[in-house]
Amino acid sequence: MRILIIEDEKSLADIIKKGLEEERYAVDVAYNGEEGLFMAENEPSDLIILDIMLPVIDGMTILKKIRKAGIKTPVLMLTAKDTIMDKVSGLDSGADDYLTKPFAFEELLARMRALLRRNSEVKASIITIGDLIIDIATHEVKREEKNILLSAREYALLEYMAINRNKVLSRTALTEHLYDQDFDLDSNVIDVFINRIRNKIDRGYDTKLIHTVRGTGYILKV
Amino acid sequence: MAVSFLILSVLGVLLYFSLSKIVYNAIDSSLLSRAKALATLISSDNSEMEFEFSDEIMWEYNLSKSKSFFQIRRFDGFTLEKSASLKDSELPFSGKENQTEFKTIPLNGIPVRLVNFRASDEIENMAKDRGHGLIIQCAENIQNQINLLNRYRLVLSLSILFIMIISASGGFMISRKALAPVKNISKTIDKISESNLSERINVEDTPEELRILASSFNHTFDRLESAFNRQRQFTADASHELKTPLSVILSQSEIALRKNRAAEEYRDALTAITEAAMMMSQIVQKLLTLARLSTDKVELKMKDINLNEVIRESVKLLSPLAEQRGIIINISADKQSVISGDKIALLELFTNLIDNAIKYNVPGGKVDISVRKETCFIVTEIRDTGIGIPESDLDKVFDRFYRVDKSRSKESGGIGLGLSICNEIVKLHGGRIKIKSKVGEGTVVSVYLKGNGSGT
Repeated sequence: MRILIIEDEKSLADIIKKGLEEERYAVDVAYNGEEGLFMAENEPSDLIILDIMLPVIDGMTILKKIRKAGIKTPVLMLTAKDTIMDKVSGLDSGADDYLTKPFAFEELLARMRALLRRNSEVKASIITIGDLIIDIATHEVKREEKNILLSAREYALLEYMAINRNKVLSRTALTEHLYDQDFDLDSNVIDVFINRIRNKIDRGYDTKLIHTVRGTGYILKV
Repeated sequence: MAVSFLILSVLGVLLYFSLSKIVYNAIDSSLLSRAKALATLISSDNSEMEFEFSDEIMWEYNLSKSKSFFQIRRFDGFTLEKSASLKDSELPFSGKENQTEFKTIPLNGIPVRLVNFRASDEIENMAKDRGHGLIIQCAENIQNQINLLNRYRLVLSLSILFIMIISASGGFMISRKALAPVKNISKTIDKISESNLSERINVEDTPEELRILASSFNHTFDRLESAFNRQRQFTADASHELKTPLSVILSQSEIALRKNRAAEEYRDALTAITEAAMMMSQIVQKLLTLARLSTDKVELKMKDINLNEVIRESVKLLSPLAEQRGIIINISADKQSVISGDKIALLELFTNLIDNAIKYNVPGGKVDISVRKETCFIVTEIRDTGIGIPESDLDKVFDRFYRVDKSRSKESGGIGLGLSICNEIVKLHGGRIKIKSKVGEGTVVSVYLKGNGSGT
């Protein structure tokens, strides 16, 4: 999943990025509202973390502009202001959830997962596809009760495909949702990873879960 | 009201008793004269008593429904004569009647007033030695008088009660009417609480006598409200400023602990935490300074201060920073300038200003400090070749937490309190502070302090 952070406190933005990347998210950071708006409009992201107090153009305005541009990406508001008024106007302006500073990183992760779930049919943190079980919270992957070890990138790819299971995902889409903007978009990388994942979760099993849709992309389904 | 009730009651009691006394005195004196009159009709002849009671005198005592009674006894109680009106009854006699005395006693259920008159001198030829004489008992039915007194008492009581009720309810209604506006005022005031300071008394609806009061209440609450708002704003700003470094500390430590890491990573995390903690400490320091300065009871230790010395000291404190940034500081103040001030506060003032001049400067830039006399003021000018302040921000720079641009002051470690503190200090010294600036060229800060007159 790809996350966009719009936060002007560099020290905070950077540590959150580091923490999220360790959780297998691809993270882009914008240090001011204008840049954040630009990136929201031009780069695909699965979730936007937006600080309300931004210099020059304030967070609320950015939020409204994002929504006005038709971007439906879930937005998690970060705010140091914790009055009810602020929360209400943030939520009414288009945010999907809020977190007040200072917050526990664990809570940030959990709320992010909840927001990411909303966009798919997945409602619990455990996804089951046939006999493949993926726990989004703990990153555990099992098939036929056997634990499967995946690297960070492999897991990220599998998770994204699982959340969007039964949908065909193009290579481009997969690349865009798994790498931040600094990545050189070489679509071949995805093929390599798909292969690796296939080796780990499909090889040796009668039912194949990962399918190639020629000319379009890949799909994860029973 | 209780007091007037008490007074009226006492008055009533006094009236009752005075009338009662009059009535009884009249009865008593009439009884006594009757007893004496009877005495004159008795004469003694050694051991023989002669009673010359004629019908004319006795008619009163002989009426069937007579109200008058008499009984004549010897000292030992032996009855010698009694009136026809007594019929078979007797007037009570205890044998201890040593003096003439009056009593009220019941006689066959009727209240009578009785006098036991000790007669010896009054009786003709009565032996003057002790032991010879008579007790003449005269009594009068005083039922009527008692009824009168009772009626009087009742009327008096009822009148008092009536007066009390009338005056009480009248007074009550009047005071209620007069106090209604006061009640309204206190109701409005009751609504005012810490969370609701915007209620005000409606001066128009208040009767004229109370308008001044209502008005001054409103003014007081205006002041209170703005004080509370300033306080609230301050607290909100402060906690807000602290939340960001706090978030960094929290996230850094949480993330660092999430998995095993290399020592280098832990060091990086700890460094970031330390930086954030120091920033918080700075903020807290500045906030405390500001809070202290803005209370009304700040006590500055005013002494004669050599301004040049203070400036030199500030520059000395900041020379490491200046060196680090390649900034040259020039001081031109050849005359000794003496002002009346608090050394520590002035040091803080100039350190803040010169610090700004250094921080918002360009590498290799200059800071020129000059001190001159202008009428009764000593003017210190701090001129820098820095990035300047946009005109739209110039009047706001002294506001708390105001930063021209968050990003530029963040790097310099500023939180927008420095100039507010400077402003407070200058105000406390009875001076003024002015700022002129041009973006890209630099800023000039002029501090006006009252000169001490001495030392040129």
